[in-house]
Amino acid sequence: MNIRNLYVIVLLMLTIGCNKESIVPVPTSGNNSFPDGTLPLPPASKPLMEGIYLVNTNTTIFGDTMVVKWNHSGILFTSKNGKHFIMDAGCLDSVILIRGYWRDGYSDATGLSNMSISGSEGGKDLIAGKPVAQIIIRGAFGTNNDAPNQTITLQYLRPFSIKVKESNFYILGHRAGGRNSERLPVSENSIAMVRFTERLGTTGIEVDPRISSDGVAFIYHDPDINTRLTQKGLLAGDVSAYTWLQLSSFVKLIHGERIPSLEEVLAFAIDSTELRFIYMDMKSAEAVPAVIPIQQRAIQRAKDKGRDIVILMGIPDTDVLNALLAYPGYRNVPSLCELEVEDVRTVNSKVWAPRWTLGTQNDLVQQMHDEGRLAVSWTVDSPVWIRNYLNQGIFDGLVTNFPYVVAYHHYIQE
Amino acid sequence: MRHGRAFVLLTLIFATVAVYSQKSDSVRLHLNRYTLTIGTGWTHYINTLEIGGQNIQQDFAGVSLKFFWEPEHRLSLGMETGYYKLFSAKGQLTDNTTGQVDRSVIPLLFLIRMRIIENVHIGIGTGIAFITNKTAGGKQKVVTETLSLSNFELSGAYIYPLSKHWLLGGELKLFHFGNTEDTMYSIQATCAMKF
Repeated sequence: MNIRNLYVIVLLMLTIGCNKESIVPVPTSGNNSFPDGTLPLPPASKPLMEGIYLVNTNTTIFGDTMVVKWNHSGILFTSKNGKHFIMDAGCLDSVILIRGYWRDGYSDATGLSNMSISGSEGGKDLIAGKPVAQIIIRGAFGTNNDAPNQTITLQYLRPFSIKVKESNFYILGHRAGGRNSERLPVSENSIAMVRFTERLGTTGIEVDPRISSDGVAFIYHDPDINTRLTQKGLLAGDVSAYTWLQLSSFVKLIHGERIPSLEEVLAFAIDSTELRFIYMDMKSAEAVPAVIPIQQRAIQRAKDKGRDIVILMGIPDTDVLNALLAYPGYRNVPSLCELEVEDVRTVNSKVWAPRWTLGTQNDLVQQMHDEGRLAVSWTVDSPVWIRNYLNQGIFDGLVTNFPYVVAYHHYIQE
Repeated sequence: MRHGRAFVLLTLIFATVAVYSQKSDSVRLHLNRYTLTIGTGWTHYINTLEIGGQNIQQDFAGVSLKFFWEPEHRLSLGMETGYYKLFSAKGQLTDNTTGQVDRSVIPLLFLIRMRIIENVHIGIGTGIAFITNKTAGGKQKVVTETLSLSNFELSGAYIYPLSKHWLLGGELKLFHFGNTEDTMYSIQATCAMKF
């Protein structure tokens, strides 16, 4: 073999596997925290702030419009290019103070941000719970932990459209709300991610159930323990070969959380979030009999607490489908099927979830709607495709790794 | 990732030197010899464990077996395998769990070796590795096998010819196994047969 060919081959081999994902630290609040005396914003004020805003400064960075949307934990400002602000808000006298940080979903860029709505520019009336025709949000953003020093001004344009307000569209965060590769501050498939994900604009989550060697269902994406998902530790190899005690004792996720059991995740989502959709994307057929009772208990828990939440067993392949078909009363198991529409009908799935590469498939989605079923597509990440799916498709939700981009394109619809 | 980039850089330097050295040779001997080398010695695991790494045993004996094709007088191509125990952890492994964990590896690497001065060789290698993890504790003994695809080795060796067919030497080598991001080095005495 020519030595130069060998040289190229060796270099190619070496470059494989060198792409470990980076982590973007969340800027610390430091002197960006709320001043003493700041009070929580009255609940009635929050929906009055929501809507579409014109960006009057730094439009090259954030585009010319932003969506402002409150969630369970705080307020999200999101633009069409993936840049978004994860903020909290409070009021001090007649001023609404908004503090937090911004990040770019497609790069490592991040920084602190502080904004406010003065009393004369809408703050006073918003705090009083009165609708305001003109709201001006003024503030600044910075780079990393530096003090915010670049001006941003947002001008209220309009509220969300009737179409948006009346829709029941689901923005489903992948891997309990966000992947590690999106450089988020908490680990994918963790309780911390379930707590965090609404701040990104999600209204539902997809999780990845597996089963331990002693029969405990837990959530974890990959088949093996690896340093992409976990801190470097004593265990290696097939994650399902270990007992639940071993996994919960010896393994920590990349940001230090432990692997959660499925039951913990469902209970947390029901009790401590406003998520409305949980899609359990079964990673092993063996887990099906163990997951169904957990699903039933979670549905009962949600019912007892008056929570409007859909909890579905995902069917990603024929192995899981056959395992479900073998379960007595399988047609009564609330499920989401990624396979053909005939399979959806066979197991009586509530939701059909085709892969995004298959296109909008409006005729089949309409068939599902006519049968009283929903349809969601996975996993739609490209801003162009997100916009196309929302403008041209009739899906009831999208699974995505960029929920803030889906949120922008959904809420901005007229 | 740091290891990977450093290795790519070293490989670039190494391969450039190797290619250059081939060009400069005006006489090709076409020896087409082969060597079979066995080695044994001390191994040391570089402990970068983030969890459970407080009380681990890092030093063990290891063995290796290499086969080289020596088509020219300076460069050799070959394969290497061996058995290395990476670490053993026993006792209080975490705040609330006792047990024992052992990790070992069998690499299977493609090697390029170059003689830089009389009897002194440097080499690089890449290939696959089979990593075995044995865990006892948490109510069950578990053995898992992991195939690691992204691995590398750097080595330096002194090889002294005793006769036409027999060589003795010593070798220092560094391994990195990508799947578990484990790194170890080994100092071995080697015995080679040339044919």
